[in-house]
Formats: sequence, structure tokens, C-alpha cells
Amino acid sequence: MFAQGGVLAALLIPVHILVQGVLGPLGIVTVVDRHYDTWISILGNPIVKLYLLVLISLPFFHFAHRLRYLLVDLGIPAAKGLPVQVVFYGGAVLVTLVAVWVLLTTAPLSLG
Amino acid sequence: MAEKRITIRATRYDPEKDRAPRMQSYDIPFTDDAMVVLDALNYIKSHVDGSLSYRWSCRMGICGSCGMTVNGTPKLSCSAFLRDYWPRSVTVTPLNNFPIVRDLVVDMEDFMEKLKSIKPWIIRKEELPLGAGEHRQTMDQIDDFRQFSQCINCMLCYSACPVYGLDDKFLGPAAIALARRYNLDSRDQGTKERLPMIAHPDGIWECSFVGECSVVCPKGVDPAKAIQQTKLDTTMRFVLPYGNRE
Amino acid sequence: MSIEVEAAPPTATRTYRPAMGRGWWTRKSHYFWYMVREFTALPLALWLLWLLFEIQRAGRGASGYYPPSSTPFVIFSVICLLFALYHSFTFLSLAGVILHFKVLDKPVASRLIVLSQFGGWLVASIVIGAVLIGFGR
Repeated sequence: MFAQGGVLAALLIPVHILVQGVLGPLGIVTVVDRHYDTWISILGNPIVKLYLLVLISLPFFHFAHRLRYLLVDLGIPAAKGLPVQVVFYGGAVLVTLVAVWVLLTTAPLSLG
Repeated sequence: MAEKRITIRATRYDPEKDRAPRMQSYDIPFTDDAMVVLDALNYIKSHVDGSLSYRWSCRMGICGSCGMTVNGTPKLSCSAFLRDYWPRSVTVTPLNNFPIVRDLVVDMEDFMEKLKSIKPWIIRKEELPLGAGEHRQTMDQIDDFRQFSQCINCMLCYSACPVYGLDDKFLGPAAIALARRYNLDSRDQGTKERLPMIAHPDGIWECSFVGECSVVCPKGVDPAKAIQQTKLDTTMRFVLPYGNRE
Repeated sequence: MSIEVEAAPPTATRTYRPAMGRGWWTRKSHYFWYMVREFTALPLALWLLWLLFEIQRAGRGASGYYPPSSTPFVIFSVICLLFALYHSFTFLSLAGVILHFKVLDKPVASRLIVLSQFGGWLVASIVIGAVLIGFGR
């Protein structure tokens, strides 16, 4: 499961950052989140909601795993223990729950 | 023409006299371009300081005895050419991540225990009767595990692995590669028996794929590849239907 | 005549255990870039959290919504993009080491596997990019 998150992160995140984070704000291309009405309408699509949920939550489990082991590599053996695992993986679970809530409440579900 | 010379700095540690290791410098003739670090150590021991202690045997890169850290990199001292370092000095220290017994000699006990723990022998559910003859194997079946059978137990990979350095409970590159060598051998039926050691948190899952083990391996075993492939196979075992497990 | 043998003290051979030290990754370039590779998880996580926030902002209604455009945000995105690209390159290249399977009894070359990973990355980027740009105005 952790590896899947890493694959998704590798395949999908760069284009989002490029388009939504750089090209869009610089006005070089049109982007779906530059205007309220286009953003809200695409967010209503259930497939988009599912895609965004997977895009955000699965990589987060991968990131939690990587960052926990980064702490181990930095010489903090406590990072192997249960309390730290709860913090990191629990954090990923929390992000997933928040994402579900945000995606369900933000834009009304529509198939338009 | 003045004789070419080179400086060798070696770790000295006498457990009966020293509290901690120290460095000692030796200035020796560098007469032959084919000289390796082992030649330098042998020269020092024969002509300069007979008390210097170190392991070696075949002097040709096949026995795995002479592993040491040369200018910060784990190397076989018989395969480290002085000409690659000259005119800079060559610093020879014991293999990293192991307790030092004396001078350049390290304690190999943990390594030996780890190798034994993964049951490095052909495990059969039922032995073939004598009348059935020998196990037959095609070249392709041997190719499946050939690379992982090249290990000479030199411990350079453990020396290079920061995960092992931080926690010596980690099973380690050579042991896992050896386990994979047997798991992939068509004659072996012991994958399940090795699983507790392999799939242990101190086993394959402790590895974070730094990859330095494969970089320093003198025999091209690629233990990093062995470990990552074992991670994949072990996960698939967990996921696939029962009938596929072997 | 009996010979008295003195028992050796229990710590006769005192092996020396050197401490590893936390700066191990600063001393070798390969180790350093490994730490960078692992660290990429953090900027990526932060950018994804921004994306979640961006989605949530749409819930404020038309009057409350503004598209991201500040210079600090663009700089943040550029930095995250660099880390994201490093993550993608290293992760997809290493997939060639990990994945192993046979087609018609011959093992598939790892170079081919890596190429297919990068090909997949290109296709996914084009598709997602087309959706993000195409549905905008």
C-alpha cells in the first residue's frame, strides 16, 4: 500500500504542481481553479472527487512512512516505536478523513 | 630518479594497552604500479612494524578476508590500487559498523549469526529417494539465482549500510541476498521456513534502499536488488491466493 | 607439582565499538542524495495539503474565492516541483530494480521496465494536464 502511494505521487503530483502551482498563477495557461465557477463545477463531479481523494490520501501514507524512516536515519531510534508510528500513520488517516469531509461538503455532487 | 614513496595511515588498537584506536603513519616505497593496499600492509608488517594486525588470504579478490575501509570507502585491500590514491596518503581503517578486535581486525560474530539465521542450505519438504538420482536444473533455472550466489562474505555491504550502522539488529544485505539465492533455487522448497527471519521488522522491512551495499559489492551481487525484490515477493505472497504460495 | 593458572579477567579482549554519529550522510555524496530523496516526501505532503485547502476554499462561495497568484506561492510551488521531479525520477528509475517478471520464460530487461514507467508518467501528465487546462478558462 505504501508503495502504491509512492507510485501515484511520482506519476501525478508533478503535473498538478506545474499547472496549478506555477503555470496557472503566472497566467501562462488557463487552469480549472482560476475561476470559481469552473472550479466548483469540476469539483462536483464524483469521479473528480474520487480521483482527488486517492491523489491526496494514498501518497500521504507513503510520505508518513518515508518521513518516519527519515527520522530513524537522522539517528532518532525512537521513531521505530509505537507512539511515533501512531503519530505518523494516524496523521495520514486524519488527512484521509479530512479529505473525505472536504470533498463531500465542498461542492454539491453533480454529474454535469 | 628519486624512489617513489607513499604514506599509509593505519588504525592501531591494542585492547590490552589502548583505551581507544589511534592512527599511525608509515612511509613506504611505492615501487610497482600494480601495488595494492594489501601489498603495502604486508610490506609494513615485514619490514617496518611487525605488530600491525589484519586479515588476508587469497590476495586476488575471491576469499573475502581482507575487507577494510580505505579512504572512507569499504574495499577489499587486495583490490585497492595504490596508484589510484598516490600521491595522496592512504588511510586504512577497520570496516565500519563492526566492533574492532585489534588494529584492522573486526569482530565478525554478528555477521556469521545473521548468515546462519536464514538457513542457507537446500530445504526440501521431502528428500528425493536415492534411486531418483540427482536434482536436475536447466541453465535458465540457475540463471534465476546465479547473481545472488556470487557473495564472498566480505562484509563490505554491511560496512556501507547506514541502516546496519544505526541498528545492528538489521538482518543486512548479504544475509537477505543469500536467502533469496536459496528461495529462487528450483531445488529448494524452504521459502516459507525462511519467512519469519525475512519478513521480520528487523529483516527486509528495515531496509530503506540507500543502495550503497550494491555500490561497494566487489562481486556484483546487487544485494539492494535482492532485498527490494524480496519485499515485492513477500508482499505478493500475502496478497495472492493460497494456492500460489511456494 | 601443581601449576597454578591465573584466571584471565573477564574483559581480557575488549573490543572497541565506535559510535556511528548522526552526520553520516554528510560525508558521502551518495548518502546525501539518498537523504534528499527521502526528504522529498515533506514538500510534496505540504503541497498536497495546500491542494486540499484550495478545494475547501471553493466551499466559501463565489465571493470568498480567489485563485492562487501570490509570488511566495509560486516560489513555494517551484521548490516543491523541483523536489517532486527528483522524487519521480528516482522512484520510477528504481522501479526497474524492484519489478521483475518473465514474458515467455525470458526475464524482462530492467531498462524496458524503467522506460515503461517513464512512459506511463508522460501519459498520465499529459492526460491530467489536459483536464486541468482544458476545463479552465
